Amino acid sequence: MFEIQSTGDGRIVISGRLDASQARKAQEFIDGVEDPREFDFAGLEYISSAGLGILLRTQKRVMSQGGALRLVNVGNHIRDVFRYSGFDKIFVIVPAPDAD
Amino acid sequence: MKALFKRDFDSLAEIFALTEKFFTGEGIDAQYMYTVNLAVEELFTNMVKFNPDGDQNISLQLERADGSVRVRLCDRRVEPFDVTVPRLVDTDAPAEKREAGGLGLYLVQQMVDSLDYVHRDGVTTVTFTKKLD
Repeated sequence: MFEIQSTGDGRIVISGRLDASQARKAQEFIDGVEDPREFDFAGLEYISSAGLGILLRTQKRVMSQGGALRLVNVGNHIRDVFRYSGFDKIFVIVPAPDAD
Repeated sequence: MKALFKRDFDSLAEIFALTEKFFTGEGIDAQYMYTVNLAVEELFTNMVKFNPDGDQNISLQLERADGSVRVRLCDRRVEPFDVTVPRLVDTDAPAEKREAGGLGLYLVQQMVDSLDYVHRDGVTTVTFTKKLD
């Protein structure tokens, strides 16, 4: 189950699986957030390249406005995907408290 | 364990349910399931995107063999597309120079232990393995 919500202060909370079947919904939601600053992944179980593409597009938008996204509460498996893809070098990543 | 899935991104939920059932049934540590799901998704969605005129269904088979999980996807009435050709992604490039395209197959090539592609008589078969250390 995939869920995405904004807490109204630039923070976007994503939970469940962000796969190709949910990518359009996620992109449209994020595009509607005026000033995204932080993604909370505490409940995110899974992300594929479709989700990475959304993060990259959002990062480019935020950077064009002089900011940078923070990804917080990132679990081990998702950090592995960031490492393989080099996304650990283009985002500020804060691991989950129970991550290795 | 083998099943057919409709050529549609919306099949992913059913696909993940199948892999979970397979892992549970085989008693395989769930730590390996992320990589298997990711590789299956990237290969399956690649077939969906680039073979829209193929057969209605794509087959997926999972088995445990030689200390690995072996996964096979089979797509019929399709053009050749070799997923084993190395994808070049500059993982050191800054965000403004990065593109999302090609990242899926790059991840598959990095994360699985073997990746095999055969195209014969209009049928593409892709097989990958993930070692259970």
